[in-house]
Amino acid sequence: MPQVKIIAKNFMDMVSSLPAMKLDKLYENAFICEAILRSLPPLAKKYVLQTLYIDVPITAKSMEEWVLPDGSSKHRVAIDRLIQLRIFTETVDRRRETTYRIHPTFQTNLQKLVTLGEVLPREPMSSDITVRLPSLEDLEVYALAQWECFLLQLINSAQAERPLNISPSMMKVFQRGLLSQREKEAPRLTESGFQFLLMDTNAQLWYIIREYISNSEERGVDPADLISFLLELSFHVTGKAYNSNTLTEIQRSLIKDLTDLGLVKLQQGRKESWFIPTKLATNLSVSLTDSSARKQGFVVVETNFRLYAYSSSKLHSEVLRLFSRIEYQLPNLIVGAITKESLYNAFENGIAAEQIITFLQQNAHPRVAERIPSVPENVTDQIRLWESDLNRVEMSPAHYYDEFPSRDVFEAACDYAREWNGLLWEDSKSMRIVVKAEIHSHMREHLRRQK
Amino acid sequence: MASAPSKLYADDVSLLVVLLDTNPFFWSSFSLPFSKFLSHVLSFLNSILLLNQFNQVVVIATGCNSCDYIYDSSSATNTDAESGRMPALCSDLLRKLDEFVTRDQHLGEKDSLGPPTSSLLSGSLSMALCYIQKVFRSGPLHPQPRILCLQGSTDGPEQYVAIMNAIFSAQRSMVPIDSCFMGSNNSAFLQQASYITGGVYQKPQQLDGLFQYLSTVFATDLHSRTFLRLPKSVGVDFRASCFCHKRTIDMGYICSVCLSIFCKHHKKCSTCGSVFGQPQSDVPSASNVK
Repeated sequence: MPQVKIIAKNFMDMVSSLPAMKLDKLYENAFICEAILRSLPPLAKKYVLQTLYIDVPITAKSMEEWVLPDGSSKHRVAIDRLIQLRIFTETVDRRRETTYRIHPTFQTNLQKLVTLGEVLPREPMSSDITVRLPSLEDLEVYALAQWECFLLQLINSAQAERPLNISPSMMKVFQRGLLSQREKEAPRLTESGFQFLLMDTNAQLWYIIREYISNSEERGVDPADLISFLLELSFHVTGKAYNSNTLTEIQRSLIKDLTDLGLVKLQQGRKESWFIPTKLATNLSVSLTDSSARKQGFVVVETNFRLYAYSSSKLHSEVLRLFSRIEYQLPNLIVGAITKESLYNAFENGIAAEQIITFLQQNAHPRVAERIPSVPENVTDQIRLWESDLNRVEMSPAHYYDEFPSRDVFEAACDYAREWNGLLWEDSKSMRIVVKAEIHSHMREHLRRQK
Repeated sequence: MASAPSKLYADDVSLLVVLLDTNPFFWSSFSLPFSKFLSHVLSFLNSILLLNQFNQVVVIATGCNSCDYIYDSSSATNTDAESGRMPALCSDLLRKLDEFVTRDQHLGEKDSLGPPTSSLLSGSLSMALCYIQKVFRSGPLHPQPRILCLQGSTDGPEQYVAIMNAIFSAQRSMVPIDSCFMGSNNSAFLQQASYITGGVYQKPQQLDGLFQYLSTVFATDLHSRTFLRLPKSVGVDFRASCFCHKRTIDMGYICSVCLSIFCKHHKKCSTCGSVFGQPQSDVPSASNVK
C-alpha cells in the first residue's frame, strides 16, 4: 500500500526537519543513531559504514567512483538522505571541490556500537522480583487487544467496551482528519479515515505517533525527547520487565499514554512497578524501513465474490464492512460477499478500488497467499470495473447561452468559442451553446462587441 | 516460488555465513596476531548486525581436523544478556571458539600423520551450504545468503574434488562465495570459488586496516552490489588437481567418460572404471586442463 511508505518516510522527514541543534542532541543517544542508520536506504547504510573510521573529509568525486553508471540515481538519493539527516555535512572548498564529512557524534556513537556490540538501553529486572510476567503470546494478545480497543474508540464505534484513559482532547487530536464532525450529526469517517483503517498496524501506529509528537509541544513536551524515548523503547527486549524508576518524570507520563496504545504493559509489584514492552513497541524502528509488516493474513476471496475472513476481531469485521456485505459471523470466521452495492458504498466514502484490492492481497490467508494471484482475477477486475463505472461522467464547470438575436450572432459565437477551444456543446436548431467556464469572460466581451 | 513473497523483506536483508580459519600452523607464523584478527572480525560482525534488524550472522570455524558452528545470531540473541556486561556476541563466540580449538587440537594428536598445513575448507563450505539450504527450506521469507571465507592457510590439494563440488552447488543455489585471503600467495581454490559463484575475491594489502577492507568490500549486501564497483579479480588460477596424487597440475590426462583428472597414465579410471587404451607416445594425448 503506498500510504504505508509515505507515512513511514514522513516520520524520518519529521526527524530531519528538526532544527540542527536538536538533531545534534538526538545523535548523542546511541539508540537513535542505530535506529536512524537502519532507516536509511541500503546504499546510504553502506556509505556510513565505509566512512566510519575515516577522519578526513571525503571528496564527492572519490565517492562517485565507487558507483557503477547504473547506480548513479541511487547514489544521489543516498547522499541526499545523508545530508538531509545531517549525517554527512557537505562543504565546497575554494577549488569548488565538494567534500563530505560524517557527523562526529554520530560517528563516535556508531564506532562504539561496532566495537562493543549492541547493548540494551536498560537492564531488565531480575526474575525473582517480577513474578507474574505474562508469556510472549499473552503479551501479544494484550497489545493487539489494546490497540484494537483504541482504534474502535477512535472511529467512535459503539463496539468499544472499556474506556481508555487517553484524554478526550488527545483523542480529538487523533481524530482530526480521520473523522468529520458536523453539527447535529454523528461523526463520520472521512476519506483518509477509511484509508487509515485499511493500512497495516505499523503504519497506523506511526500515523498516530506522528500526530502525538506534533501535538507534544502544546503539552509542554519537547518533541526531540519524545522521539528519542520512542526510538529507545524500540530497542528494549519484548516481554522483559524494566523498572519504572529508571524513567524520567516526562517519560513516566508518556508511558501511560503508550500503555493505552498497547506499546507497553504496566505492572505493579509489592514495592516497585515496572513496564514490559510489547511487540508493537519493539517493532517501531523496524517499520521505519520500507519493509512492510509481515503478519499472517486471514482473508480468502473466492471467484464467486464470497469472502471468508478467519478472524474473531471486531475491528476486522468493521474494516470488512467498509466494502463488503457481512452475511454471518461465527466465533472465528466472518463470511461476507463483495457486492456492487457494498462497493459503491465504499467508493462513495472515498475508498479507491486499488486500496481494497491491495488490502485483500496483503491480508490474504497463507493458504491462498502462495497462489498467484492471491485474489481471483475476475474479482479484482470486477472491482476495478465497478469503480470505473462511477467515473463515466466527467464534470467541468460551464456556462449556458441561449436566446441569440440572430443566426449570424449564434454562429459567430460558436466559431469564437471554437477558437478558444472552449465549445462543449451546441444546438444549432434552437440556437443554444454551452462553453467552458474559463472562457466565459472572453465570450461576454465578444458578444458585447457584436451588439 | 520464493521470488514473489520474498519481496516483502527489505532488499538488503542478508544472511552472512563467515568461515573463520583457525589453523594454528598458519596463525603462529603470520604477521597479524590471531587476537587482532579476531577483533577486526568481531567489529565487522557487529556492524553487519547493526545495519539491519533482520540481518543474520553465522560463524563456522575451519580447523585442521574438524569444523564446527561457533556462532549463530538467530539463536544466540539475549541468551547471555543476564550473565554479564560483556556483549553476547563476543563472549559467546570466544567461548565456543576456545572449546573448538582445544577439541581440534586433540583430534590432531590422535592422528599420527604429522601436522597438516591446510585447513578443512571443504568441510566448512559444505556446512555453510547445508545451513543455507535449511534456511531456504524454512519458508518463503528468508534473508539473502552469502558466504565469506576468511582464509589464511594454503590450499590443501587433497580437498580439490570436495571443494569444487561445494563451489558448484553454491553456484546452483545462487549463493556467492566472497573470499578474503590473508596468506602470502593467492589461493587458487578461493579465486575459483569467487569467480564461479559471482563473489568477490580480495587479498588485503595492509592487514592493520582489515576492518576497512571488510566493511568496504565484504559488508556490501547483494542488492547494493548491482550499483557498486567492487574489486574485480585480475587473474584466476584455474589449475586443477589430479585425482590420484592430489597435486596441482598444468597438464594431465582426462577420462573421456567422467572427466576425472590424472597426472599420469592409468589403465583404468579410478572414478568410473572405464578402461583406457595405450597412450601414443609420439602424439601427446595430454590435454590442457581448464
